[in-house]
Amino acid sequence: MVRALATYDSVRRARLPRAREAELAKPIVTMIETRLPLRSKAGPTTGSLIGSNLPRLGRALLVGLALLSLPDCHKQDSDAQSGFPRSETFYVAGRQWGEPSSFNPLLSNPDWPVNSANLIYETLLMYDSLSGKMVPLLAESYAQHDDSVEVTLNAAARWNDGQPVTGWDVKYTFELGQKYKSLPIAPIWQYLSGVHLFDDAGHEATGGPSSAPGYPRRVVFELNKAKLNPLVVLDALQDQRIVPRHSIEPLLAKVADNLDEFNKLKFDKDVVSSGPYKLFSYSGEKVAAVRDDAYWGNGPLHGGQKPVVKYVVHPIYKSNDHFSIALQQGRLDASSTFVPRIWLKHKKGVRSWFDQEPFFLSSAMPMLLVNHKHPPLDDVHMRRAMGFAINYKDIRELAVSGYSEPLQAGLVLPFGLEQKFFSAEDVKKYGTSFDPAQAKAELAAGGYTPVFGPDGQLVETRDKNGQKVPTVYIKSPTGWSDWESIVRIAVKSMRSVGIDARERFVDASLFWNALFAGDFDLIMNTPASAPSPSKPWSRFEVLMTTQDFAPEGEKMYKNMGRFNDPKSPGYIPRIDELIALIPTIKDEAELLARYRELNVLFMQLQPTLPLVYRPDAFYEFSSRHWSNFPTAKDPYLPPLIPSDRMGTTLLWTLKPVAQ
Amino acid sequence: MFKNHPTLKHILGRAGWYFVTFLVAVTINFFLPRLGDANPVDTIMAKVSAGLDTASAKEKEESYLKEFGLVEVDAAGHIKRDAQGKPVRASLASQFINYVSMSLRGDLGSSILQHPKRVSEIIKDALPWTLALQLPTIVFGWLLGNVLGALAAYKRGVFDKVMYPLALLMSAIPAFCFGILLVYVLGIRLEWFPAVGGYDDGMTPEMTFRFFASASYYYVLPFLSVFLIVVGGQAIGMRSMCIYELGTDYVKYAKLLGVKESKILYYMFRNAMLPQLTGLALALGTMVGGALITEMIFSYPGLGMAVLTAIQGNDYPLITGCTLLVTVCVLIANFSVDILVGILDPRIRAAQQSGK
Repeated sequence: MVRALATYDSVRRARLPRAREAELAKPIVTMIETRLPLRSKAGPTTGSLIGSNLPRLGRALLVGLALLSLPDCHKQDSDAQSGFPRSETFYVAGRQWGEPSSFNPLLSNPDWPVNSANLIYETLLMYDSLSGKMVPLLAESYAQHDDSVEVTLNAAARWNDGQPVTGWDVKYTFELGQKYKSLPIAPIWQYLSGVHLFDDAGHEATGGPSSAPGYPRRVVFELNKAKLNPLVVLDALQDQRIVPRHSIEPLLAKVADNLDEFNKLKFDKDVVSSGPYKLFSYSGEKVAAVRDDAYWGNGPLHGGQKPVVKYVVHPIYKSNDHFSIALQQGRLDASSTFVPRIWLKHKKGVRSWFDQEPFFLSSAMPMLLVNHKHPPLDDVHMRRAMGFAINYKDIRELAVSGYSEPLQAGLVLPFGLEQKFFSAEDVKKYGTSFDPAQAKAELAAGGYTPVFGPDGQLVETRDKNGQKVPTVYIKSPTGWSDWESIVRIAVKSMRSVGIDARERFVDASLFWNALFAGDFDLIMNTPASAPSPSKPWSRFEVLMTTQDFAPEGEKMYKNMGRFNDPKSPGYIPRIDELIALIPTIKDEAELLARYRELNVLFMQLQPTLPLVYRPDAFYEFSSRHWSNFPTAKDPYLPPLIPSDRMGTTLLWTLKPVAQ
Repeated sequence: MFKNHPTLKHILGRAGWYFVTFLVAVTINFFLPRLGDANPVDTIMAKVSAGLDTASAKEKEESYLKEFGLVEVDAAGHIKRDAQGKPVRASLASQFINYVSMSLRGDLGSSILQHPKRVSEIIKDALPWTLALQLPTIVFGWLLGNVLGALAAYKRGVFDKVMYPLALLMSAIPAFCFGILLVYVLGIRLEWFPAVGGYDDGMTPEMTFRFFASASYYYVLPFLSVFLIVVGGQAIGMRSMCIYELGTDYVKYAKLLGVKESKILYYMFRNAMLPQLTGLALALGTMVGGALITEMIFSYPGLGMAVLTAIQGNDYPLITGCTLLVTVCVLIANFSVDILVGILDPRIRAAQQSGK
């Protein structure tokens, strides 16, 4: 009975379509009677047992046991609509780790599927991280001018209530960030001075919002001339989900424009959105989205085809291993989780982008952030000694299952789209790489003397005055096993050349506070990891900008290591200049020169210690139930699971595997 | 005034003590998670601050602090600030008063990490699964374990020689280890049972036979992983208790008198069971805390994981909500045992009645 109640509650929680909800609202007793005609079907044997003189409890137990042990002979009782037919369902994982609680599109961290664009809400454009091109979605085209970026909306784009997606919706979405500083879109307003709308005739739309024919489709994002940066605007065009003004505005007005109150709305039913799927049900075990057959984009974007997948379901497992098990058993079709030693899973049909090492396409750079306010880390010799000391090959092979190309110094990826800004010559000349002799030479150049004990173990490091150099601790969250291995290898490498470093694994919540407040010597971090039009500039920016420089103890969300303090005598203004300059450069040769200059500065000064390459999002799939996944051999889409950004296109191109 | 009702007096006395214990426990539950340095907003900020500039992030952080009542707010709803413009953190005392007054109204507040979900809602969703997993394992495991233990002690011979080492083995295996073994052998290698989850991925919970069948199929491994261990532990305890009882004078005397074997067994069982009963009550009390290890190994729904993530992320309202639930259940279970033992054990009843 406990179980019966449980399921009833969960059913109520899982938002089912109207008709079923009404049916479920029947009292539980009638439901059991109508749904479980046990007595009539269980036949005479059970009946006679129940009829005998067994005590009441025994009888109840017997009924229960009979219920549990009977085979699936009552299948005809079950509603044909219930459940997700395997041939029309795609199971994804890696985007939802705990109980879902809210699907509010204005939250910074709503639950799946709202948190990864394009299933429910859509962006203006999608970024193809393979070609570097922007692909149309709500916007059919975009153009970049000297002082503005403009997009033209697809005339067919509709909200699911039939209203067209207009320039007013786009303007409203972006201007929410002007009004509410805590929205993720807010920082864009440093770089924008206004959003202007134009109708088809070329007249600027000034009156109130309207969706009547002739509504404005051209949206012009006017750049802030004092801080010219089209890159961050492009980032936003492929990142910001557009919300319907006619639905959001009244809801906000109802709570007196109080965003905190608005954020309490869960948006779990009757939601106005533009995407190809709608939320179907959710519980602590899974979230499901169902295809919206009336999706506007089927015609204009997909040649009149509906997505082949009817349900996209995200099961919520409680341990990382379960994703790996479920992939191997064909219970999951695609996952964005860390699956160790994936080559061992090949025979079970689990694949990734490449069939051999490095298996994944990297776009991120896990690294050690260095606190420049903590001696001896303010000394470039010490930082470069660390850069030479770390055994990057061990990290790649032992800590991350070989899922990485060999590391090259600097902040520019030596492969993919960033390769054109990469200079092997500079790396050779200025970069650090694993070389213990060089590390020792750097230490000597800085006047450091390591003191080794009789057992060959490092005792301490002394500086040029003979004083003990403070031990530097590397912070990493407890239990993040891959990071723990990375840190252990780094500590071992550093100690072997004579740098007094130690691991410090801390509780995750303490870790985050330490990261932003600068309470660390060295700390693990993966900055600006998602592929976007602004790479590699945004990686340099997040690590080296001195904007909003704050003293230790106060929080900084960029340059957490407090590198290049503008108030210090050694401030290098050129770094900030280059960071401001690069986004405005149009000439490719000039761009390459400036990137090289900035990267050389990074390599010479070694403000942080990059360790390895990794994908921003892992991409594994199982070919048991679906085929036609993009891979390195057939790269027709970037490596993304089908609920992520451009990966949603996969929902049209997948092919069911005949069972 | 209770002179003529010693039992009632005893019960009321105990109840009073339990109430005091309850108050102390609630206070500790409230303060313990808040004593550390970390706070839940840091955990949220780690998730939401990507891409935000420092000023926006600060504003966001403050809006969370205000929302969760972690900063002082003036009458107009603005955050109070100190001389440096930093928000003034709400004092623990004022948070405690707020917490007590809300709890008295039956309001456990809303979770911070799963904002805006209510704590009561989270508990309501997870608790049935926890109970469904824990109650049968504990009750049936306890019953079977005790019967086996008593039989082994009484029968001796081959039965004991087989049962005892087995029970010893079962009780000595850590639950997580046994669970992983079950998953690996029965779930992954042989694929007899599903390794992960509470019911088929293709279903939503509903009142249909198909769902029940699926849920029972998925129930087998998690159930076994705890059940066998409970049986082992109980059997060992009961066996030693019974062996002790067998050596007592009253059993020898009864045997000499030629009392029927079943009657002797009944006497013995009744005496040996008393300490086991206390153990049962405690297990029933703590079971609402969830079978965390089982949940993690099988990704089984339940409260354990909710408690773990709450503790890891310093989700104060959820931690206090869950610990409050556990506290209440443990106290009720203990209280019932106190009363029950009095009823079952004539010796204790006599002691109570003589007013000691």
